[in-house]
Amino acid sequence: MTDLQFEILGKPDYGFLKLRLAAGQSLCVEASAMAAMDTNLVMKTRMKGGLMASLKRGLAGESLFMNEFTAEGGPGEICIAPGAIGDLAHYRIQPGKSIYLQSGAYVASSPEVKVDTKWDGFRGFFSGTGLFLLKVEGNGDLFFNAYGGLVEIPVQGNYVIDTGYIAAFEDSLNYEVTLLGGLKTSLLGGEGLVCRFSGQGKIWLQTRQIYPFLRWLWPFRPQKNND
Amino acid sequence: MQIEIINSPGNAAAKVVLDGGEKLVAESGGMIAMSADVSVVTSSKTKGGGGFMKGIKRMLTGESFFLNTFTAPSQGGEVYLAPGLVGDMVIYELDGSRELIAQGTSFVGSGEDVELDSNWQGWKSAMFSGESMFWLHCKGSGPIILNSFGGIYEKEVDGSYIVDTGHIVAFETSLRFDVQKAGRSWFSALAGGEGLVCRFEGRGRLFCQTHNANNFGWSLSPMLRPRN
Repeated sequence: MTDLQFEILGKPDYGFLKLRLAAGQSLCVEASAMAAMDTNLVMKTRMKGGLMASLKRGLAGESLFMNEFTAEGGPGEICIAPGAIGDLAHYRIQPGKSIYLQSGAYVASSPEVKVDTKWDGFRGFFSGTGLFLLKVEGNGDLFFNAYGGLVEIPVQGNYVIDTGYIAAFEDSLNYEVTLLGGLKTSLLGGEGLVCRFSGQGKIWLQTRQIYPFLRWLWPFRPQKNND
Repeated sequence: MQIEIINSPGNAAAKVVLDGGEKLVAESGGMIAMSADVSVVTSSKTKGGGGFMKGIKRMLTGESFFLNTFTAPSQGGEVYLAPGLVGDMVIYELDGSRELIAQGTSFVGSGEDVELDSNWQGWKSAMFSGESMFWLHCKGSGPIILNSFGGIYEKEVDGSYIVDTGHIVAFETSLRFDVQKAGRSWFSALAGGEGLVCRFEGRGRLFCQTHNANNFGWSLSPMLRPRN
């Protein structure tokens, strides 16, 4: 397979992906993320990986359907805009190594890349990544995004991330959900639960979370008119 | 302590690299990631003492009652800080000769030798500035990390300068400030939508933010589901 030719525009606040597909080359894209494309690109909507894999993907906050775009009769350009305002990152997936994405973070990938859903259980519930994680493996390119900026952190040994700020991490890392410091810090210090990573690998941290914004918006809701 | 502002200007975060034993004070909930061996202590105290009452006063500024103090292990460590809303960040260095007044919600973190107190800014400011009644008064020496809603820009005031009340992030105490109406008449002040403004006099640095969080919130208000 050939690597995808791409460019990420609008970094870091408005990450936008522009790719140039060679003749016959295909790209898988999350539903409704295509913003613009050349007319020789043909779109096919599929349940990637079959019905079960798609249903599981639905549990991880992704759409059941994925679109596959193929350049026919020559090369072609496609532009992809993720739903959330924020950064976009590229990751080259090597065989035998996989990466975990927070639910909803998947944007696009080479067709050879497999996107699976992994039940992360109560650890996932407390980690703020959701009950399910996306496990991406295979051989090819992956693009993912997050609300806020993305910061790549190389971990060697141990690292602590506040729950809800994990966008992605390599599967060579292990993590557990713990309290930060003593009970006073957890309850009064506003830090609550954290994820403690161990091993060697990379983590992508997101610099903002959507929930503080939503909580801030709450008082601006209008009063209901009871007339 | 080395501080780097990353991901400017929309979703900025501060990467703070601490030497062994060095301390960083941060607003509660501000830490988003750190080296695993950095230790955390939660307290209402800051440098200069005070404890409980200072915590209460800090709450009145819109800042948190509790602050977290991060201490690096002997081999050093790093801490990432980020605020809740979108916007940029800036580092201000206190050198002992100057003091800074910051809007409560602008404070993100500081070095351990920065003393944080809350100042009553007078009735006029409390009633009309659209901000909280108390502002954070920063003294001592060391860096202060501030955040803004939207972008942040600095103005070197020499003489006098006017800023809309919702756009002030921080200013040096060498500047005096007063709240006044934007236009000559009350009609232009109110109908022009500018209402009240802050007038600064003197010489000093002033930090302003490009957007006003309350204006953004109210502009979204009609599109939000009503409260029951």
